[in-house]
Amino acid sequence: MHELSIVSGIVESVLNFVAAQQISKVVDVRLSVGELTNLQPEQLCFCYTALIEQTAIAGSKLEVEAVPAVVSCPHCSYQGPPKYWADALSLAPVPTLQCPQCGKATEATQGHECAIKTIKYVA
Amino acid sequence: MIPTIEASPEEIYDIELEKTLLQANAKLAKENRAQLDRHDITAIDFMGAIGSGKTTLIGRMAAKLKDQFNLAMFNGDATTVDDVNLIAKQGVPTVQLATINGCHLDANLVGKALRKIDLNKVDLIFIENIGNLICPAEFPLGSRARVVVVSVTEGPYMVRKHPHMFLGADIVVINKIDLAEVMGVNVEDLARDVHTLKPDIKVMLTSCKTGAGVDKVAAALLAIKESRADA
Ligand SMILES: Nc1nc2c(ncn2[C@@H]2O[C@H](COP(=O)(O)OP(=O)(O)OP(=O)(O)O)[C@@H](O)[C@H]2O)c(=O)[nH]1
Ligand SMILES: [Mg+2]
Ligand SMILES: [Zn+2]
Repeated sequence: MHELSIVSGIVESVLNFVAAQQISKVVDVRLSVGELTNLQPEQLCFCYTALIEQTAIAGSKLEVEAVPAVVSCPHCSYQGPPKYWADALSLAPVPTLQCPQCGKATEATQGHECAIKTIKYVA
Repeated sequence: MIPTIEASPEEIYDIELEKTLLQANAKLAKENRAQLDRHDITAIDFMGAIGSGKTTLIGRMAAKLKDQFNLAMFNGDATTVDDVNLIAKQGVPTVQLATINGCHLDANLVGKALRKIDLNKVDLIFIENIGNLICPAEFPLGSRARVVVVSVTEGPYMVRKHPHMFLGADIVVINKIDLAEVMGVNVEDLARDVHTLKPDIKVMLTSCKTGAGVDKVAAALLAIKESRADA
């Protein structure tokens, strides 16, 4: 799974930041993750905890903040949450690109992000 | 000789503090696309489960389109170069891409592959992603279209089980329809599931064994190539 490679990139940039700023302790790193990225929060946190062992940021926490999907329809100008597919065989309902209002194809305007929002630290 | 590109573990993805791997990849994908557009090259990315028929389909496409266009092929198959050979045998320049974790290609590797070929002598590039129904979806490569190749041997619920891959695709090829009856799979149901997720996606039924539907896929790829020429 690619959660590991994503988290190792995050850990690396936090470690660089810590070294550059001469920070003594990182408390938490807040990551915003879009609903459409299909990244699993538990897996991200698990990878984070495993990767920071014996580094300068050991003991810090990764907080994952979910960003809901937003779609916009060029056919009927609907804008808002996507239509969910309850029949999909996954634990949670699956967001689709079908317009909840007219049934045609929408475009996602939010939900693909994956960004470090804040790093909380003790200077 | 088929050139090989190895992603080294020390690879720097140019991650600034606020940049995660996904953001860095998206930026590189845009750069790839701009470079391809400058050279009037169309790249098409083939994703799908292991063994769904990606290589066989690309081989068929190469046979249909190689007289019309100068083709190239990038292959992300993690284990073997046999796949590449199938296409290379048809005289198509190929580049083998080796990933570290073997779960998806990324825009950085594709960017490096672009440096291995003569961009002035290529019109159409086929990229075979790693056989995986989850990871490649997150990593755009800079292609003009993404094709998902699924096969009836993956069972009647494969779309419901792996919906994510289809949201970012432009064309879905349901392959191995010659086996649909034996597998007890109704291809119309699969197609309907795909349209539930994404109403405007093109769904095509093929058998790369008998050749059924293969012309339609070639025509769709041609249309993608030509929509570029008009733009
Ligand atoms: N019966 C049947 N077999 C097919 C069809 N298409 C491909 N195959 C066979 O399926 C097997 C896998 O095909 P490949 O083209 O190698 O599949 P792939 O998606 O490239 O596989 P990986 O690269 O390993 O993920 C081969 O033995 C093909 O000959 C088809 O339409 N019908
Ligand atoms: Mg293959
Ligand atoms: Zn609508």
